[in-house]
Amino acid sequence: MAGQTDHSISIFSAAEVEFIAEDEMIEIVPNIRMNALNLLCGDFGPFLPQIPCTVPLWLAVALKKRGKCSIRTPDWMSVEKLTQVLEAERESPREFQPLPFHYVEISRLLLDHAHDDIPEVYMVRSLIEDIRNVRFHKVESGLETISGRTHAVKLKNLSAMEVNLVRPFMARVLQAFYKHDSPEMVQQADTSASKRPQVVDRGPRRDLRPR
Amino acid sequence: MGRLLKLREAHKTDAPATCSVLWAHDGSHLATSCASDTEVLIHDLSAPPPGRSGSNAGSSPVVLRHHKEGVTAIALGPMAGPLASGSFDHSVKLYNFPVGSFQGNVTRFTLPIKSLAFNKSGSLLAAAGDDDGIKLISTIDLTISRVLKGHRGSVTGLSFDPKHDYLASIDSFGTVIYWELSTGKQLHTLKSIAPNYNSDSSVLNTLSWRPDGEMLAVPGLRNDVVMYDRDTGEKLFNLRGDHEKSVCSFCWSPNGKYLATSGLDKQVLIWDVDLKQDIERQKFEERICGLSWKPVGNSLAVIDVVGRFGIWDNPVPVSMKSPTEGVVLNEPHPLFEDEDEEVLGKGISCYSGSLDDSIEKGSGDFSPISRKRVKKRGPSFDEGEEVLQEIDSRKRRKESENKRGDGGIRERAVRMQDAFQVGFTPPQQGKRRFLCYNLLGCVTSLENDGFSHVEVDFHDTGRGPRVPSMTDYFGFTMAALNEKGCVLANPCKGEKNMSTLMYRPFGSWANNSEWSMRFELEEVKVVALGKNWVAAVTSHNFLRIFTESGLQMHILSVNGPVVAAAGSGDLLAVVNHASDCLSSGDQVLEIKVFNINEATQTISGRLPLTPCSHLTWLGFSEDGRLGSFDSKGNLRVYSDQFGGSWLPVFSADKARKSEDENYWIVGFNATKLFCIVCKSPESYPSVMPKPVLTILEFSSPLASSDLGADEVENEFMMTNLQLSEIRKKIKDMEAFGLDVTALDDEAFSLEVKLDRCILKLIASCCHSDRLVRATELARLLSTQKSLKGAITIVTASKLPILQEKFSTILEERMLDDLKTPEPIPTGRSNGKTAYSVQPPVRLSPMMEKSPDLNNRTPNTIKPQIKSSPATETLKLVKARSSTPENLAQGEDISKERELGSKLEKLATFVKGKGNATSEVTGKDVSSSATGNVKPELKIPINPFARVKKVT
Repeated sequence: MAGQTDHSISIFSAAEVEFIAEDEMIEIVPNIRMNALNLLCGDFGPFLPQIPCTVPLWLAVALKKRGKCSIRTPDWMSVEKLTQVLEAERESPREFQPLPFHYVEISRLLLDHAHDDIPEVYMVRSLIEDIRNVRFHKVESGLETISGRTHAVKLKNLSAMEVNLVRPFMARVLQAFYKHDSPEMVQQADTSASKRPQVVDRGPRRDLRPR
Repeated sequence: MGRLLKLREAHKTDAPATCSVLWAHDGSHLATSCASDTEVLIHDLSAPPPGRSGSNAGSSPVVLRHHKEGVTAIALGPMAGPLASGSFDHSVKLYNFPVGSFQGNVTRFTLPIKSLAFNKSGSLLAAAGDDDGIKLISTIDLTISRVLKGHRGSVTGLSFDPKHDYLASIDSFGTVIYWELSTGKQLHTLKSIAPNYNSDSSVLNTLSWRPDGEMLAVPGLRNDVVMYDRDTGEKLFNLRGDHEKSVCSFCWSPNGKYLATSGLDKQVLIWDVDLKQDIERQKFEERICGLSWKPVGNSLAVIDVVGRFGIWDNPVPVSMKSPTEGVVLNEPHPLFEDEDEEVLGKGISCYSGSLDDSIEKGSGDFSPISRKRVKKRGPSFDEGEEVLQEIDSRKRRKESENKRGDGGIRERAVRMQDAFQVGFTPPQQGKRRFLCYNLLGCVTSLENDGFSHVEVDFHDTGRGPRVPSMTDYFGFTMAALNEKGCVLANPCKGEKNMSTLMYRPFGSWANNSEWSMRFELEEVKVVALGKNWVAAVTSHNFLRIFTESGLQMHILSVNGPVVAAAGSGDLLAVVNHASDCLSSGDQVLEIKVFNINEATQTISGRLPLTPCSHLTWLGFSEDGRLGSFDSKGNLRVYSDQFGGSWLPVFSADKARKSEDENYWIVGFNATKLFCIVCKSPESYPSVMPKPVLTILEFSSPLASSDLGADEVENEFMMTNLQLSEIRKKIKDMEAFGLDVTALDDEAFSLEVKLDRCILKLIASCCHSDRLVRATELARLLSTQKSLKGAITIVTASKLPILQEKFSTILEERMLDDLKTPEPIPTGRSNGKTAYSVQPPVRLSPMMEKSPDLNNRTPNTIKPQIKSSPATETLKLVKARSSTPENLAQGEDISKERELGSKLEKLATFVKGKGNATSEVTGKDVSSSATGNVKPELKIPINPFARVKKVT
């Protein structure tokens, strides 16, 4: 996603969002025999060779790095599912398709660490990239429609990374519109948030506001 | 004709696209289509002189513009029958031929159509493409008579068997399926025998029956055309020659003597099929994607990928037999639309047809026709030959059916099943296959020209030894694998290749510890492997046992032809036929289990199977229980109960989630089955990608009862079974004087589990008002705690009668315990002998209960309390706290909280009653009873446990 938003003002950095996503569960097929792991976040295993079990993504990646398991690609990451999603995304310009909340991060982690377990990995990679671009384009074009009368924006099925990118911008835009709409708010803002020069400079806007 | 053939443009295309060409049955018209063109063209060839039909530039073709997108397939019904076309626009349309008038839409698909075919009588049209399923459409009323599903990729080629028994289809993955038309079943699935064009849509796989229906031609993987048998689907021979790339299209000459093939190398070759040799060839500028023999005369129409077509005159040299010689032409007749009548009609029409044909074109082709006429003059001779051929083919079919073995049994189980190696998969051409797959690892083999590569892999890559792959010149077909080594064996193939048994140890201190045995005039049928021994059962019904180092230890005789064998530890199980099959189709199998180390026989008897099924798996679980799996998907486990019997513990029919799942069993343990789920039509896993095991829970084939708690009932059965197994083991081990503490713990936790299960059942009994059953269940409870839990349940469900009954049981239980206090201290001193001490006075084995004693005694025998381990008390607490929670799904948990206080009230009630009744036995009893009940109910940990459960 192109840097439409300054990353430094996002609430989370991309790495942090990825860290959160690592708690998602994923199925692995271990090739070792190991007793159950009793961790703070839960008990995982026991691990038996060739018998699938579900573990958090971080554990899956850690095991994968040591060559102790293969990761089973989630259903939604198959070429056919992604093709369907991409088509549906392109067809409906106003809606987002339901994908896992952390689809960007999960697919990134899997493509980085478990590319040999993903069938048709190049196709999957390009499809996911396309989906991301299409969705972000939608978000962008959606942002353009925000006007002074917008009080809230409903974005269903938006994923973590996408939210994270637009959240600061969106919140501030809405705030700004709100302030400009109500004169009392503007005065309050004057005193409290004088850092923002554009709010202070409200002479011409005053004239525009009453319609 | 060696010159380059001139091609004429018919369809305009920008990019190469699949085009097709078809001759009319009288050779007067030619229909062409192209995948990038919406038009179907009908070229009239009768106008110019018949000898020079290739250069009729003058006449303009009839144009059919009915499709919205490119036409991918055309098919022509018999003799002036309709022309059908299928297209990317998902529709199939019918036209009058050769006039070209539109008849109607036949069907619509949801995805593009890739292939079409008429049957010989023209009554059925098959259409298929990217959709899931081949549609069979009756051309009389345009209804869909059947949809055949089974291909995974898009179906690109269809061909009706000229005898109207089968339909053959091929998909873009190169898989061929034989369908039986009368039932719609898949007879044979030949996987990946043709090139895989799944990623390349410009080439379509095709296939074609020889006009006599005796063989099916399919493009092969080595730039050849492979012929498969009509009935068995076995490979007959291949035509391999000068094609430098894969064959993409071919067409049989009308008499089936010649085959025209075109390859991706832009060549067209004409083959003499009997000689298996190419007799003529021609190179083209572009790839030829459509070929069609002229039904009458010696001409071949070709069309290339850019939409240009041409007619190749005399592709078969004039000196050779004509490609139409001996053709039986089938004249269409409205009377003969029905299939059964059609066979009759064939005989009548054949002579008139051929006569017509020869008169019609007498001037055109001189030499072939004259010879043909001569032949045709002696119809009796021809007829005789045909009959002979027919007989011959029947005979062959019988033979091949006998050879078929496994597949044959599945259809009608009248034959004794062949021997099989546990965990093997049948060979597939050009693919790696399993010689053995078990829970430990697998042995795989890939056949190459003349020899194969055998690899051994362990699932647990961390622990299993790494085994170098080996080249195998024997052609091993069976293997067995354990931690220490693997044994491989091959059947004898002819006189030169003797049956060989080879053992490879994985870790040995000596260099050359691999050994092999050869068998003269004897054939190894199955092999098995155990702790320090190797077993092989041979065709002479010998069971040969070797030691790990290759010493021949024992040779035993087996009662009948062997079916399977499995080994684990010291135990070897051998299944053999006891007699021929029953007339109902049931296999009569016998099983024997030997202890090799002690040279004893532990089990001997018949092996039960589901009716009309055959054995597909045999093996031991990790804890040494024997199990068998049959083709109907039922797992049976051997148990000592009732003097040794087979208990059905799993049924695939019940467990199956969707219709198209096949379970390929790998192993089992005490409660679970390990298998590989194969999606139909496959019933075997493939080596790549690595198959993943699925765990399935056991389930008894219970009758559906009025309780509506099937799961709990199932759990009850299974836990009982497990418990009895463990008890047996404990007994065995105690007989040897071994330590059984761990098993005791296990048995105890099982008892707790069983109690929980029984409590749930009691709850559902209370729900459905089965009071007698509830009382019976209460008697089965093993601990007093659970009994008290049961009382709380019935109190909650307001059943005072039951409450009373249960209290009586509880009292009895307490009294019994008090009557036999003497042995307890001794039992306490070393907890493990508690079982031997227990008097077997209980109603059933389920009622034996040492943990109860453990739990009760702390009050009476203080000094020994330390010996009761903390874990055990914890377990008790858990069991206690979890019983109310698991009462029943429907019950309110918050209500259960109140029960705590109720329980206390109840306890006082019980206490009172206990006092009242036990006055006779003495004060000692009552005091101990109160001392017993009260502290338990007030156990301070209990509220904590409760809290833990809530969180």
